[in-house]
Formats: sequence, C-alpha cells, structure tokens
Amino acid sequence: MSGPIINWIDKRFPLTSFVKHELTDYPTPRNLSYWWNFGFLAGIVLVLQVATGIFLAMHYKADSTLAFDSIQHIMREVNYGWLLRYMHATGASAFFFVIFVHMARTLYYGSFRAPRELLWWTGQGLLLMLMATAFMGYLLPWGQMSFWGATVITNLFKVTPFIGENVVIWLRGDYSVGDDTLTRFFSLHYLFPFLIIGAVIVHLVALHTVKSSNPSGIDLKDKDNIPFHPYFTAKDLYGLGIFLIVYSVFVFFMPNSLIEPANNIPANPMVTPSHIVPEWYFLPFYAILRSVPNMFGGVVAMALSVMMFAFMPFLDRSRIPGGARYRPIYRIQFYLFLLDMLVLGYVGYKPPTNPSIVVVGQVATLCYFASFFVVPFVSKIEERWLIKRGLPAGIMELMEREKRDLENRTQEHRRRKGDLV
Amino acid sequence: MSTLLKIMLLGCLSISAFAEEAKLENIQVATDKPALARGAEDWMNNCHTCHTMKYVKYSDLLSLGIDKAKVDGWRGEASVDTPLIAQMSDADAMATFARVPPDLSLMAQARDGGPNYMYSYLIGYYLKPDGTTGNHIFPETKMPDPLGISSVAGAAQRTEMQNTAKSITSFLTWAADPHTTDRTRLGYYVIGYLIVLSGLLYVVKKQIWSRLK
Amino acid sequence: MEDDVKGEGNRRNFLIKLTSVVGGAGVAAACVPFVASMNPTSDVLAKAETEVDLSNIPPGGVHTVAWEGQPVFVLHRTPEDIAAAQASNGVIDPEPDAKRVIKPEWLVVIGVCTHMGCVPTKEGPGWTCHCHGSQYDDSGRVVRGPAPKNLAVPPYHFETANKIIIGKA
Repeated sequence: MSGPIINWIDKRFPLTSFVKHELTDYPTPRNLSYWWNFGFLAGIVLVLQVATGIFLAMHYKADSTLAFDSIQHIMREVNYGWLLRYMHATGASAFFFVIFVHMARTLYYGSFRAPRELLWWTGQGLLLMLMATAFMGYLLPWGQMSFWGATVITNLFKVTPFIGENVVIWLRGDYSVGDDTLTRFFSLHYLFPFLIIGAVIVHLVALHTVKSSNPSGIDLKDKDNIPFHPYFTAKDLYGLGIFLIVYSVFVFFMPNSLIEPANNIPANPMVTPSHIVPEWYFLPFYAILRSVPNMFGGVVAMALSVMMFAFMPFLDRSRIPGGARYRPIYRIQFYLFLLDMLVLGYVGYKPPTNPSIVVVGQVATLCYFASFFVVPFVSKIEERWLIKRGLPAGIMELMEREKRDLENRTQEHRRRKGDLV
Repeated sequence: MSTLLKIMLLGCLSISAFAEEAKLENIQVATDKPALARGAEDWMNNCHTCHTMKYVKYSDLLSLGIDKAKVDGWRGEASVDTPLIAQMSDADAMATFARVPPDLSLMAQARDGGPNYMYSYLIGYYLKPDGTTGNHIFPETKMPDPLGISSVAGAAQRTEMQNTAKSITSFLTWAADPHTTDRTRLGYYVIGYLIVLSGLLYVVKKQIWSRLK
Repeated sequence: MEDDVKGEGNRRNFLIKLTSVVGGAGVAAACVPFVASMNPTSDVLAKAETEVDLSNIPPGGVHTVAWEGQPVFVLHRTPEDIAAAQASNGVIDPEPDAKRVIKPEWLVVIGVCTHMGCVPTKEGPGWTCHCHGSQYDDSGRVVRGPAPKNLAVPPYHFETANKIIIGKA
C-alpha cells in the first residue's frame, strides 16, 4: 500500500488509513458463524440489482401501452436481455431471502440489544425502503398481477383519516392505476436503490461504531478479535460462491417459479384475476392485512407487523447476555415465531374464500403480535428463573461486568455533559 | 396449544386443497428444433385461423429450420418480420365467439400448470349428451374443439391427436420463452464454474483460517 | 501476518493466486452479457436489408431510402451524367466511376457526409453538404473538402432489373 500515487492521495484523502481502519484491520470477532455472512450477501445482491436494473432500464419503456411489449422485447430481442431480466426478477426474491435470514440471525442472537439499537433501526429503515422498491418494481412489467397488486396496495392508503380518497388519487395520479402511476413508479424505482445505498452506508457506519455482535452474545475482548481481512474476506467470498450457486439454479433453471402465471397476461383494468397473491416475501404481512375484518384495522395491523421489529430493543428486558444461546425460553419463542411466519405465509397464499383459512389466519395474526407483546414479561421471568437455577459462573460475572460498564458509561456521559456545562 | 391446533388444521387443509385441483396430464415438452418445427406447422394448421402470436415473427419460424418456401406460403405478402397475426379479424371473432381469441405468445406461461394445462385442455374435449362439446379443464371455454378429439372413436386416431396436441404445446412452450435452450446450456457452464470457484474459495478460506491457533 | 504467509510456503500463495485468477475471469465473463446488451438488438439487425423499387425513379431523379437508419441516395443517372462521371477520377479521393456502380445508370451511395456525418443536399450536378461546405459529384466522389473521402457505397445487388436489395452484395 505504498508507492508515490498512494502517498500523493494519502496527503489529500485518508485512503490508506480508511481502508486499514474499516477493512483490513477492522477487528471482527473470530467466532462469527456463517449466519454472519448474510449482511455481505445483501450488499452483493444490492449491487447485482442496481447493475441489472440500469441495463434493463436502457430497454424498458415506462408507458402503459408499451411496458408489457418492452419486457417481451427484452426477453426476445435484446442480447442477453432474458438473462438480465431473470437475474433482476430472481434477485428481488434473493434480496428478501437474504434480508430475512439476516434479520432472523439478529433476533436469534439478540444482536439488536444495547448498544446496537441504532444499527437495528437503520436496518428496519432499509427493510421498509426495500419493500417499497420491490413493490414499485413489480408494477413495471404491467401484467395482471402488477396492475392489481398496485391497485390493492395503493388502496391501503384509503384509510388515511379525512383525506384518504385524495391520498390514493394523489399516489396514482389518476382515478385508477394508470399510465401516470407507471411512470412515477418507474422514476421512484430507479431512485430508491440509491437512497438504499446511502442508508447502507449509515448502517455500516453504525456497525463499525458498535462492532459486530457474535454468537456468544458477549462482547469479546480484544484478543478474540481478528482483522476482517483476510479472514472474513475469505469467509464471505466462500459464502458468496455458495449463494451464487443457489441463485444461478433459480436464474437458469427455474426462473419462472417465482413469477406468477397471471403476470404473463397484460394488465387489464376491466378484469381482476380470480386469485391475486403478492410475491412470496409479502405473504405473511398480506395475511395479517386480510385477517383483520375491519379495513382500517387491517392496514394498521399490517403496518405494525412490519414495524414491530423496531421495538425489540425495548421489549427484550432480559439482562442475560446474547439472544437464544443461554436462554431456552427465548429460543422456543424464536422458533414458534418462525413457524407462525410460515403459517401466515401459507394463509397469505391461499384464497380467502375458505373460512377455515380465515380462522387460521386470525389465530396466526394474534400469535404474531402476542409473540412480541409477551417478550417483556417472558424475558424477565426467564431471567429470574435462570438466575435461580444458576447460570455458568462466567456468565454471571459478565452480567455483573456489563452492568458495571453500563453504569460507568452513564456516569462518564453525565460527567462529560457536566464538563460541557 | 394453539400452534398444535394450527398444524393440525393446516394438514387437513392442504389435503383438501390437493383434492380440489383439476387433474392435469403431465407431459414432457419437446425442445429439439425438428419437433418445434412440426409443432409450428401444427399450430399454423390448427390455431392460426383464430389466434395471434404477436411476439413471434415469421423469421422466428425460419430459425426453427422450417422450409423457406413453406413460410413464404404462410406469410404471403407480409414481410418476414411481421408477427403471426390471426387470419380472422377481431370483429369476425367477436361476431362468432363473442370474444376475441387470446394471444398465444405467452400462453404456455400464463396459466397455472403451464404446458401441462395447455395439453390437458387441448385433449380435454368430450361430447355432451346434447351433441355439443364440453371441456374438462376449462368448462367455460368458448373455443370449439380445435383438433376434433371429442368425436374420435379409434384409439390410434386418439393417440395421433394427442401427439398433435403435444407438438402444439411444445411449440407454444418454446414461443413463450424462446431462449430456454440457450439459458439451460449457459446455466450448466455457470454452475459448473461456480462449483469450482466455491471449492477453491473453500480451500483458501480453510488455509487462511488455519493461521489462527 | 505477512510473516505467516512466507512461513507457510508457496503453496498457499499459489492457491490464492489461482483463485484470484479464476474469480477474476468469472467477473470478466459476467460483464459480457451487460456489454452485449447494449449492442443492436435482433430486431434492429433484422432491418439490415432494404428493398428499393427502381421503376418509379425517372432519369435524373434521386430517391432517398433508409437503410440501417441512414439515408441512401439512389440516383438514376442520364447518359450525360454518366459521361461526366466517367470523364474524371475525382480529386481528393480518386476512384474510377466504374468501381462505384454496378450498372452505370444507377448510383447508390450512403448519404452521409464523410466529414462530420451531415446529410448532403442534391444541388445541380452532385451534392453539397451545408454543414461545412463539402461537395460531391454525380458519382458521389468528393470534389471539395473538408470531407476526406467519397460517399460510401453500401453493399447491394439487383434482385431483378428494376429492384435492388441494399444490405447484401
């Protein structure tokens, strides 16, 4: 990393020190498992989506009379257009898959807990932006599912108090989803990824401030940290290889498994398909929307179901370090929650005409919210039970030390504030 | 407790859900050019009168290896770059069937079941007691039995029609995604490469991590 | 750390180099579809042939037709035009007229000035380009600069006596 050019730059821009500090020498817990690969993978998928998206936009036409045709033009006449489009469509699913695993890891290992709350909340913001981007992108092929999905989701804003109808019309720029809706969705679908990149940088700054959590749930001493490069670059790249194999299987051999057949029919505002379903990654939230019999309640429940994750740092009151590792009850809660998500996903996929499906959906929705609301009580009860039962000496010691650290930090904070005053 | 109940309910539901679905014949569509060329010819003979394929051009048929003279005969005055437009006008179709027959370019991907649906639909015609035809797969269909399979008596003739249906289905499956063959071929190379690369990366990772005690 | 690498011998260095090369090749190969997608699409390439019916171009008349999105001048030359064209070899980019036509009555040239790509206008005998003043004669040869070369002759052939196909020689 020497040489006259680098020297020249370093006098004007902290290149070497930045790379050293944030990458090559960045201290990383040595015990990170492969579950910690998914943040890196999400970054790679973001790059893939932006790259394929920019090249697709060179051939796509955001006009309601041309959009469907231009997709077929990409699929048939553009050189490797089929590859770019299938990569982009599969990439959307891959993105959500990777993000869901990333979130599940955070929940399981309690990585959202102090001092990583802001890291978790920036991630929550990223999830919302990702959802918005995916939803707007889904309108662009202008198929039946695109059209009716956009119709249903924009109609959710009808529940805005007093001005609901106007908000919906404002969002669409039309009385129904139309040409103006398509052009603005295209514009925003192109814009949002760059906002996401900005938010990812904030997410990374937050990460590098508080450093990575690790499976033990205990912040490691310096001797247990290793430099990110070459250890985690190697590990992340190996994980990337495996991920790309799975991704390629979908792109090359079953690209249509993730595209609803009805989206191969051009949008028709006069006929709704007999069964509208969102993409798989929205299914659990869609099931929650449908499970509440009242329209306003349904929309609020759905919005809340996505936002609930943000409350986790407040809800989890256990002082036992880490997530599920030392906490058997929390572990059971976690798996039940995953199961509930799967049930909700299944309910979201099935037509709502079947009464027993509706009941299952309502029960699963209650379970979904209940699993958040019981966390404060269960975590406290569990903590008491575990302490009474006796925790490993090391853990108790750590809890004491963490408590001391926290007190020291607050005291120092107060002192500094006092100094300033 | 509620979870247990849910799992049980779910089990029952998925069983009943399977029972509801119409039984589709499973077929293996052909992807080789001679079979697709035959399918294109069957399609021109049986479907082109009423149906359009706006994303398939006469030049695409040439790329399947169909005789140029034959394609020239089909296209008449139209240039090779024109799509396969139905011979019947939309107005005539409306007058006859009360709706315009759908475009078939993407039909193989536009129905649940894809090619299986299409094949089962084509051979799903049967003769009702009142002399009209019905369809097992799509009872509301307005399309008259295109192959005449409902009035066939002999098994040999039926097999022949099933073959025609299969060949048309193969052609439509190709038309819905004409790059499928290229795609899967490239896919084998890409995945082969990725397996080699991942293997190498795994060894590199192991060696680098072995530096740690 | 660097010491570790040296201590463990060359095998690791080789392995890392090999993996980098294989990975780099993969990244390079992955760029191919992206770059290729910017090349003309197959429907654009399919328009690479243009048919011209010559029967309604009178002697002395010129028709402009589009081929690959560019204007092509089809000039029906009179015996006097032919004589004038054959009399000289051009000035800036000498070339005999016989090499520029298939049949002397028909001149087929791409109507794009070889200087900066403007479309010259037919004025008297020959063409004048109004962008920078280049002049061409009735064989499409440049007679006054700044254009450096004669108007290009596209590949074409006579399908029948009265019909040419531009795009295929």
